[in-house]
Amino acid sequence: MTAEIFELSALRIAEEVRARRFTATAVAEAFLGRIEALNPKVNAYTLVTADRALAEAGRVDAAIAAGEDPGPLAGAPYGVKNLFDMAGEVTVAGSKINRGDPPASEDATIVARLAKAGAVCLGATNMGEYAYDFVTINAHDGATRNPHDLSRSAGGSSGGSGAAVAAGLASFTLGTDTNGSVRVPSSFCGVWGLKPTYSLLSRAGVYPFVASLDTVGTLARSVADLARSLDVMAGPDPRDPDCGRVQAPPSESGIDLGAKGIRVATLGGYFARGLTPQLAEAIASVADALDAGPALELPRPDIARGAAFTITAAEAGEFHRRRLSTRAADFDPASRDRFIAGLLAPSAWYLKAQRFRDWWKGEVARVFQDVDVLIAPATPMLAPGLDEQTFEFDGATLPLRANVGLFTQPITLVGLPVLAAPVHRPGQMPTAVQLIGRPNSEAILLRVARELEQKGVCSAPLGLVA
Amino acid sequence: MQINDPAVVAAVEAVSDAYERALLDNDVEALTGFFWDSPHALRFGVAEELYGVEAIAEFRKARKAAFLDRKTLRRDVVTLGTDLAMVTIEFEIVAFGNPRHGRQSQVWVQLPGDGWRVVSAHVSHRVTPQNAAAFNADDAGPFAAAAAALLDVPIEPAHRQGVAFNLGVMARIAGPLMAIDLPDSAEPAPRFIP
Repeated sequence: MTAEIFELSALRIAEEVRARRFTATAVAEAFLGRIEALNPKVNAYTLVTADRALAEAGRVDAAIAAGEDPGPLAGAPYGVKNLFDMAGEVTVAGSKINRGDPPASEDATIVARLAKAGAVCLGATNMGEYAYDFVTINAHDGATRNPHDLSRSAGGSSGGSGAAVAAGLASFTLGTDTNGSVRVPSSFCGVWGLKPTYSLLSRAGVYPFVASLDTVGTLARSVADLARSLDVMAGPDPRDPDCGRVQAPPSESGIDLGAKGIRVATLGGYFARGLTPQLAEAIASVADALDAGPALELPRPDIARGAAFTITAAEAGEFHRRRLSTRAADFDPASRDRFIAGLLAPSAWYLKAQRFRDWWKGEVARVFQDVDVLIAPATPMLAPGLDEQTFEFDGATLPLRANVGLFTQPITLVGLPVLAAPVHRPGQMPTAVQLIGRPNSEAILLRVARELEQKGVCSAPLGLVA
Repeated sequence: MQINDPAVVAAVEAVSDAYERALLDNDVEALTGFFWDSPHALRFGVAEELYGVEAIAEFRKARKAAFLDRKTLRRDVVTLGTDLAMVTIEFEIVAFGNPRHGRQSQVWVQLPGDGWRVVSAHVSHRVTPQNAAAFNADDAGPFAAAAAALLDVPIEPAHRQGVAFNLGVMARIAGPLMAIDLPDSAEPAPRFIP
């Protein structure tokens, strides 16, 4: 039985297109048709750029016909969280307010790099307003629904990007991760997610949330797709002076070297408490497959999370000050009061958080002297129902939205690369396990993830196969 | 005096049911109507002390409440004779995403000509470490108002409680952060590179 086009990985599509077994235009049309049929159910896309997709696909087909190299992602269809600039489109960032902005004059740098590599942009995906969200329940654009159970959240804030990949509405998508916004949708939707080292990928043309923490990331159904898209997108960018201070080596070439010799340990303490049996089993299965050593602990991850929370609130609040003073009523009520509260936070809180961040970086580096990859859960719960407000954790009933990032936020604080590896069990919602590396160790994380993929421990099967 | 005469209990349960329905519907007129039409009527809320039926009515009118998710966990009715009853309810409600465990006590009296009316009521929430921040909002409120004025960011009256609540949450999270001792060598992480 031949697989449908929408089931194929980005690499496989590029290979088939380059081999002229089908055209990039046929791929784009197939995905646009599937989006038209299924997006009303999932609400993954807020904007479908059919004209752009067909034009880009046409250029790939023309290059192939002319005997030119169409690029390493020839014809691979992808979507972008709706905070990435696309030339000619308004960058809404999940808001009502930004709808009045003029269209972007050029693509975000990494979107332009994907286009140059032959990838085909299908459209922009739903997100929590201004990315201050873990569930993608957007007051203006509606909730994104989880392709594995439409009554549940796809996670956030890059929820549309997670759902698009899980539903086969893109071969891969771009998201951003500030406190977990790639890793949470990856966990709830059961797809691979990569949050690279802070400042590895250019943020030029990416609408900001928290400058100290914002990182561009990728969601996909195969590890090799994460690797190739990373290699295409990485590299210094004159439009983003922060980008390029760290440089990771190419990742795809070494992906099949195996995990032998890579030292792996699970994170204990804070990261091991309150786990449901399914989450504990997911961690154990990944740890077993990687011969993980005894559990290690990071010092004071609870305060690291608090510091990430504080930096987030203060920077996001100040960034939106003008909009909060003139258009507060147009904000999503779910985030408005938090933005205002952050704007009013005493500077001592913020500066202490930034000093803690500096100190914690050294503490974490010490732990990484003895280990290459740390394993931790991505979320403390499985995808919740869209109307759920609380969840049970460690014997207490806790507010849901405020605690989704319990395990992702501390890691964000010091900009470590994390690969979220999806674990599926029959009859259950998926989850993901964080593979955490030292700065610039994306290649190692991808090797480990590939090992898990090949052993069948982690996978990203489609939901909503219709 | 007969305690818990079944007929009296049934009558009190009926008015209590009606009161709870009005609460879920935020039926302001009905809610006010359940109270004794007297300057001696009293209602202590979680954050307000209301003396007299007029103050109670004013409070109800100003309140934009949504109690849709309020769930009664337990209700006890004790009647003393034919005209006096105490109704106590434990309930669960989610406020600003935080689950709360509430207690409501009402004294009901059957008034000649008017029927059963609440003469005195008191509502409280159980304070736990998980929800304590919600109750610090009183401290955060004046700070938020002053800071907002200094920053020239007007806060709509309807948003003030939510902003104060979120500042309370931040204060709770910043508490342990401020308490930790860092070496002087730890500088704020972002550094300006000229």
